[in-house]
Amino acid sequence: MKDNTSAAISLAGVNLSLGHDAARVHILKDIDLDIKRGETIGLVGPSGSGKSTLLMVMAGLERPDNGSVTVAGNDLATLDEDDLARFRGRNVGIVFQSFHLIPTMNALENVAVPLELAGVADANGRAARELAAVGLGERMQHYPAELSGGEQQRVALARALAPNPSILVADEPTGNLDEATGRQIIELLFAAHRERETTLVLVTHDAALAARCGRVVRLRSGRIETT
Amino acid sequence: MSAVVSATVSPLLSLRFALRELRGGLRGFYVFIACIALGVTAIAGVGSLAGSLADGLAREGRVILGGDLQFTLIHREIGSDERAFMESRGRVAQTGTMRAMARAEDGNAGLVEIKAVDKAYPLYGEVKLDPVMPLADALAQKDGVFGAAADPALLARLNIAPGAKLIVGNATIEIRASLTTEPDKLAGGIVFGPRLLVSDAALRATGLIQPGSLVRWHYDLRLNDTNASDAVTKQVATQAREQFPQAGWTVRTRSNASPALERNIERFTQFLTIVGLTALLVGGVGVANAVKSHLDRKRDAIATMKAVGATGGRIFVTYLVQVLLLAAIGSVIGLALGAVLPFAVTGFFGAIIPLPIVPSIQPSSLLLAFVYGLLTAVAFALWPLGRARDIPVGALFRDNVAPQPALPRKIYIVATVVAVATLTALAVLLAYDRKVALIYVGCAAGVFLLLRLVAIGLMASARHAPRAKSTELRMAIANIHRRGALTPTIVLSLGLGLALLVTVIEIDSNLHRQFTAALPEKAPAFYFLDIPSNDSERFDAFVQKLAPDAKLEEVPMLRGRIVSANGVAAENLKAKPDAAWVLQSDRGLTYTEDVPQGSRVVAGEWWGKNYDGPPVVSFEQRIADGLGLKIGDAVVVNVLGRNITATISNLRKVDWESLGINFVMVFPPSVFRGAPHTRMATLTYPGGSTPAQEGTVIRAAAEAFPAITTVRVKDALEAIGALVTNLVLGIRAASGVTLLAAALVLGGALAAGHRHRVYDAVILKTLGATRRRLLTAYVIEYALIGGATAVFGMLAGSLAAWLIVTDLMNLDFAWQPMPALLATLGAVVVIVALGLAGTFSALGQKPAPVLRNL
Repeated sequence: MKDNTSAAISLAGVNLSLGHDAARVHILKDIDLDIKRGETIGLVGPSGSGKSTLLMVMAGLERPDNGSVTVAGNDLATLDEDDLARFRGRNVGIVFQSFHLIPTMNALENVAVPLELAGVADANGRAARELAAVGLGERMQHYPAELSGGEQQRVALARALAPNPSILVADEPTGNLDEATGRQIIELLFAAHRERETTLVLVTHDAALAARCGRVVRLRSGRIETT
Repeated sequence: MSAVVSATVSPLLSLRFALRELRGGLRGFYVFIACIALGVTAIAGVGSLAGSLADGLAREGRVILGGDLQFTLIHREIGSDERAFMESRGRVAQTGTMRAMARAEDGNAGLVEIKAVDKAYPLYGEVKLDPVMPLADALAQKDGVFGAAADPALLARLNIAPGAKLIVGNATIEIRASLTTEPDKLAGGIVFGPRLLVSDAALRATGLIQPGSLVRWHYDLRLNDTNASDAVTKQVATQAREQFPQAGWTVRTRSNASPALERNIERFTQFLTIVGLTALLVGGVGVANAVKSHLDRKRDAIATMKAVGATGGRIFVTYLVQVLLLAAIGSVIGLALGAVLPFAVTGFFGAIIPLPIVPSIQPSSLLLAFVYGLLTAVAFALWPLGRARDIPVGALFRDNVAPQPALPRKIYIVATVVAVATLTALAVLLAYDRKVALIYVGCAAGVFLLLRLVAIGLMASARHAPRAKSTELRMAIANIHRRGALTPTIVLSLGLGLALLVTVIEIDSNLHRQFTAALPEKAPAFYFLDIPSNDSERFDAFVQKLAPDAKLEEVPMLRGRIVSANGVAAENLKAKPDAAWVLQSDRGLTYTEDVPQGSRVVAGEWWGKNYDGPPVVSFEQRIADGLGLKIGDAVVVNVLGRNITATISNLRKVDWESLGINFVMVFPPSVFRGAPHTRMATLTYPGGSTPAQEGTVIRAAAEAFPAITTVRVKDALEAIGALVTNLVLGIRAASGVTLLAAALVLGGALAAGHRHRVYDAVILKTLGATRRRLLTAYVIEYALIGGATAVFGMLAGSLAAWLIVTDLMNLDFAWQPMPALLATLGAVVVIVALGLAGTFSALGQKPAPVLRNL
């Protein structure tokens, strides 16, 4: 038995298949992984190796077929879908490759959404401070369509950080950005990790970026090759 | 977590999210809003107009009735004690009405409805004449000739002008003015002849008032206390009934001035409300489509919200609030248009509508329409909203996520059922005739289900169709059954619209055929009314000589009013709507030893010849059912001021369509032995009559027997036909709203599919498909879906029309293939045209820009 108490994320014997019948694919195979609080992890591997799926399992977005997933002290198997949503809102910040901002809301409102959902009293004030922290204090009223890719990703990062999550996961956060903009985002991610002591899990193809992480977890064909 | 978290998430949060989503404008929701607005306009408009009319009837009640109270008797005038009762309470005006023949100096004759008034008439309102003159002058006897005011229709029919003289019975009457306004005309109900207003003395001078002749005496009473409340008025009516239990009169008060008209308005209102509900139901499909495609577009936004902590419930409530907001916008537009309708109708048509419409805002009707609008939107949106709740967040990471379940969670299925049940309950409970409303709901549910099955069948047939050689046909067939195909939506909206269109067309053409086309050969050409008993032999001989080939049938006729049945007073009897008319006023009745022609006994025993036992009566079966009467029940009928208690001994089925003489109640001769009565006859020409033959009979009979009323059957049918035409016009207008809703839904569905079309077209063009090929494939696809649906729509519409015409209207049904086929063909053309209109732009798309944005 592993000691899960000091781990931010603990996966044991996790298997996951997707699809039906003949199209069913075994994506994650017997995954055991412990990530300590405050650690930075780079998840790397070739396309189709299961990186994003593993990230989704950690964020409570996908349920494994078997095995246990404990995140921030919560056994995710015991939570129903709505509990999982609330759990994410409190504990996990997610940054997507394609930003996924809500197009009908301006930057401030996008960042305020998780705070409002969590019932935070001064949601807009806090959202404004988060936006200022990522350098978008002047662009709060702009809609996603009026922002550049880098700016959109900064809004997405502010949104992920706004509820002060203990865990931050990012799925190829620079994949849709040019190199210089990508670097700025990475700096912001690591700064947040330092300043807020969040656990950071990054999915990336970028070896240099992975090298900046405290630990690299390499996946191949759904199995952990090296950690 | 260091955040200050409030105890609960604000319930307004969903509203805030919903409003933010709608910031981008209402694009994509126009069909949603228009569908709700159309249905709500129809229901609110009908309700407002009916309410305004009811207000008008209530406000003008005493004018329409002619007094605060009215007492009506058949055959006899009131006695001195009865008059004393009335005069002790106010002023009394006496009027006598009867049908008669009026003969012009050139020999032309026509049926008139005589109204003989005394000097006190009218107690309320004003008679308007052209040229303007006091009523007393118009009716006065001058140089031995009585005056009269005539309905302009009579002047036109007999081709005469004021100044002309008419012979009515034994009297010569000079038309001094045309009657432009008769204040209490509405209370009289439908009349078959134009009005001839004369003095009481003139009527008596005609010699038409004979024992047993059909004259109605009305006594209008204007209470001394002009501010008397409705309660006081009703109290006087009760006192009259109590003091004179044998009077046999019908007593009406001003608050119930024209019960028949009010009932008809109520009935028609309910019918139009049902048509409005159909528009809403069809529109509901548009709502469901709009919500579904909106949620499809919002898939990413919903998944993102869930990724950052929104629960499924929060997503559901947020989008439900949005649907309610949009439904409220549509409903408010509908309410505004509906509320304006009575004002618009009186503004534009006030002068030609003979009804006292007092345009006003009808809060209860508007509230009801608003509730219908919201409920419909909710009922149709809950299903797609419930599915949106389960949109997987994984969609944000990759396209290949587990597909959503086909059904929403149980709670949303239950909620949908509850919303539909509430809508149904509201429609049925508020209906005038709940049975009809229930049948409607059943039919609507059946049609929805059937159309769903048609769509499933069509898609399954396409899926299993043998592989076609032609590429275009293969593409078309694939488009019919592929996932996300437009087939179910097109089948539903086109099927509903077409079924309704064919229903209306078939009813319309059947009614027209019934009332305007040639009469059935067995139908009589004339009815002769009020033939004095002692003159009947002479009249028979006269007619036989005049029309030797024609067949004359004669029966005795009396008038009587049902006073009570099984000890329950007529006014307290719970009659079904299609039988209530029998209780509304006096009815014709007859006596005979044999079963009358055109009817057969279906229950009980017919009395034999020379029956001399206690009074018995034979009832028409449907009416007996409608009044809740069965064999052995006792019925009290007031005939000639005498109450007769008779036991129902048998029930008959009557073939009303033969247009022969038939009666609801038939008695054995012994019941009316010695009672004064008149006779009624029909004259039937084998093989039908010519206008020349008819003209000869009318003139000759009017001259030789001025007291006998001749009714040409064609005229009577034309009068009914005119009424039917007006009803059909109303039905057409209301159905038009539904068809418009169906077209909107169809257009909306095709527009929603546009994005997929562009995508398909671009990919296919990239792979080498020419525009002609694509176009051919689309034409085949739409024609196949449209054709299959059209056949169903035509069958369903014809079936519905057959049910309505035969079951509800009790008329013969003959399927009219041409109009139904034309409508069907038109529908296919429309669907192909609409489909291609949306696809043309897809064909014109250059692949590169679209591919870049995929």
